[in-house]
Amino acid sequence: MPGDLAPILSVRGLSVGFRGIPAVCDVSFDIAPGEIVGLTGDSGSGKSTLGLALLGLVRQPGRILGGSVTIEGVDLLQLPEAERRARRGRQIGLIVQNPRGSLSPLHTVGRQIRSVLRAHLTLSSAQATGRAVGLLRQLGLNDPERRAHSYPHEISGGMAQRVLIAMATGAGPRLLVADEPTSGLDVTIQAQFLDELSRTSRAAGSAVLLMTQDLGIIANYCDRVLVMQEGRIVASDLPAAFFAAPRDSYSRSLLSLAHAPPPPLPTAPAELLAVRGLSKNFRLRGSGKTLQAVDRVDLAIGRGETLGLVGESGSGKTTVGRCLLRLLDADAGEVVFEGKDLLRATPHDLRSTRRRIQIVFQDPLDALDPRWSVSRIVSEALLRPDPGRIAELLTLVGLDPAVAKLRPRGLSAGAQQRVGIARAIAADPALIVLDEPTSALTPMARVGIVALLRELQARLGMSYLFISHDLNTVEQLSHRVAVMYLGQIVELGAREQVFQAPRHPYAKALLAAHLAPDPGRRRVDRVPGAGLVGEIPSPIDLPPGCYLAGRCPEAVASCRTTPQPLYEFADGGRVRCTPAAVRAGLIPIPDRPPGRVLQNTVAA
Amino acid sequence: MSDSAQIETAMLDLDRQDHAARPVPDLLFRLGGLIVLASLVLMVAGPWLTPFDIGRPSDDIMLPPPDLLAVPHLLLQVVTRAPHDPIHWFGTDSAGLDVFSRVLAAPRADVTIAVGANLFSLVVGSLIGLFAGTARPWLANLTMRLSDLVQAFPVFITGMILVTLAGRSNSTIVVTLALLYTPIYVRLTRSEVLTQRNRGFIDAARALGKNEAAIALRHVLPNALAPAMIQASVTIGFAILMTAGLSFVGAGVRPPTPEWGLMIAAGADGIVQAEWWPSVFPGIAISITVFGYAAFGNGLERRHAR
Repeated sequence: MPGDLAPILSVRGLSVGFRGIPAVCDVSFDIAPGEIVGLTGDSGSGKSTLGLALLGLVRQPGRILGGSVTIEGVDLLQLPEAERRARRGRQIGLIVQNPRGSLSPLHTVGRQIRSVLRAHLTLSSAQATGRAVGLLRQLGLNDPERRAHSYPHEISGGMAQRVLIAMATGAGPRLLVADEPTSGLDVTIQAQFLDELSRTSRAAGSAVLLMTQDLGIIANYCDRVLVMQEGRIVASDLPAAFFAAPRDSYSRSLLSLAHAPPPPLPTAPAELLAVRGLSKNFRLRGSGKTLQAVDRVDLAIGRGETLGLVGESGSGKTTVGRCLLRLLDADAGEVVFEGKDLLRATPHDLRSTRRRIQIVFQDPLDALDPRWSVSRIVSEALLRPDPGRIAELLTLVGLDPAVAKLRPRGLSAGAQQRVGIARAIAADPALIVLDEPTSALTPMARVGIVALLRELQARLGMSYLFISHDLNTVEQLSHRVAVMYLGQIVELGAREQVFQAPRHPYAKALLAAHLAPDPGRRRVDRVPGAGLVGEIPSPIDLPPGCYLAGRCPEAVASCRTTPQPLYEFADGGRVRCTPAAVRAGLIPIPDRPPGRVLQNTVAA
Repeated sequence: MSDSAQIETAMLDLDRQDHAARPVPDLLFRLGGLIVLASLVLMVAGPWLTPFDIGRPSDDIMLPPPDLLAVPHLLLQVVTRAPHDPIHWFGTDSAGLDVFSRVLAAPRADVTIAVGANLFSLVVGSLIGLFAGTARPWLANLTMRLSDLVQAFPVFITGMILVTLAGRSNSTIVVTLALLYTPIYVRLTRSEVLTQRNRGFIDAARALGKNEAAIALRHVLPNALAPAMIQASVTIGFAILMTAGLSFVGAGVRPPTPEWGLMIAAGADGIVQAEWWPSVFPGIAISITVFGYAAFGNGLERRHAR
């Protein structure tokens, strides 16, 4: 097992300083062959600086002040620069954030992998090509010969990330340094990527240093956890011990919300919003084709309730939110809010009801006018200027009223998002559409925003439509959860049911890819169910039957030809899957379309 | 490639962050700013700062400027206030007028016209641009095609037509130049409006029930003006050149107003007889001014992009 063998990487007393200000202080640790060590810590704690220093690199004007980085018995820092450069890539691989930005747009990905291989190994051009294609195949890319001839803009973000792994691991490095390798990727792609990373390193017996702020990744993939704070390693633990009782203040506050359920619901909440048959298509310029963004979505939200709307990018969840606010005009359906159909409201009626639905955006800075002060921004939502009310609102969202004079750029991203929330609640809404409000924030700021949203709901009693791809925050906020895939709701049910016993194959796959910050629910230890295969179909050119049929392990013949209706289960949950309904005994005859489908829903 | 591409990319990223952190002293920007400031001072006070009366000829006709070697001595005389003959630094023209005084007095015409025309087209152009960026597609397209049409008119022809119609006056040039430059501001503002329109704070204002006109004027326009303001600095420089050009061909400022283009035109005949000074000095003044505005505008653009 890892730990008993001689370590691949041994760091002793490593220090890096920027003009006398220490960024990394006296750091020492080892990584054994085949071991994956997680390095976590708040932004600015020195993780990335440490990662670069392991390659003998440092940002200007920083300097490595002392210590040793011994890789397989040789101290890298004592070597001349030419020798160090030769070892980067051959002995140490680096995977950075932003996969597409790290690839050259001018060359095919195959050529880029090949040039890395040939820089470090003695290979002929043909051998290198063969090896590059082989690497891509190993990493699960279908049709690798064709992909190798693609340019970076022609492949998806997940594929680009796999190309980067191929480049970083192609020369068989003994140590792999991965700095937030999955930030910005969808959950299923993230899980695929990390599975491949851990499989590769276990098979090759190489050491991996995985730097991430996502404790879910740490819990699921790492053999040991290092926590950095202000340039020092403040904790080094096995994951089980770490998650049971984190020793440092940073991890403690991050984990504080992990298991707390959302605020309790009032019993039998009155219905606030009912959406029926909401559809939205976008006509594409030039080709005349249409992109189906939202397809006959039905959902309801009660007073004081949070509905979580989850799905990967492109699933249409943001479009649903924008249609509710009439920021986009829906093509069909109705949105009944407080008894009025908003889609048919006159402009005058709309203006008065509009304030009752507010929105908080993903990018907190973009949502605030850069030329306006915080007090003017919040004041915009008030019917008449009232400095006392502004101070009250800022206090309510956890800000010092003194920030009222500042401009958005002078605030941290978390504080900017709090200003956005203050503006939303200033209008006294009954419903707030939260459109990925935590996705652009650091985990630390995210915890603060989630706690704030829960507190505000408990205090003010408004409802939320919480749109997110981050299942951890959805679990912490939502009473009910709807799962979207290619514009349709495929499953809708109570939080416990969806998270613990998802019924739709897509919901199952999404939940299987979910990395909970809980070492007891490690993905690597779970029995690998039959997962989805292939890539998401294009929303311009959708298959005739179930949109998932081509990727689904449970699909039967009729799934490919018959559109799937939503079936309502006994517990009120809804699932758009005939095989699942058959298994539950909702419809008797398998593999035949149900006789009559009323509207879009079949009652149990 | 001797190194792995991602390391190089990582290093490039680091370099970029570094440059952003350290402001580079921008000499061209400062020099440009100085020239712009000087031209504005002369625009306001030029005619009062001249050593000679710009309207009253002296007896010395076509007096050449002092010899270069004599300049230090003459300067000393001026500084020490020693009694001396009046000095025509840039010589005199065929009417006996002091060229230096007229070069100093000319910004009153040139810069006023250029700034006035740009101010007019900036205000009108950005409002039309705002309209074109927010109106229905067919209206927006119509506006843009009309603006193309205006832009397609050759400026000298427009100037001459207007002179024939309305007579030769400063306001004719302002109108000509404003017509020429308005489409530039329309286009710039419109493209910026199209970006700003999709920002989160616009949707937030809509969700608060604000009407579209209020959003356009309070949120979109102020945030969309920066590129137009930067463009204005560059365009004012070119407008000065254009004013001089129109005056040169007789479609601009009316003589005997001191104006660089007119001065070049008046002195042009003498150049073949080696009487270069009545034309060359105003020419240099134009070059320096246009350069100054362009350098200032480019500097502003660099700062804005940061």
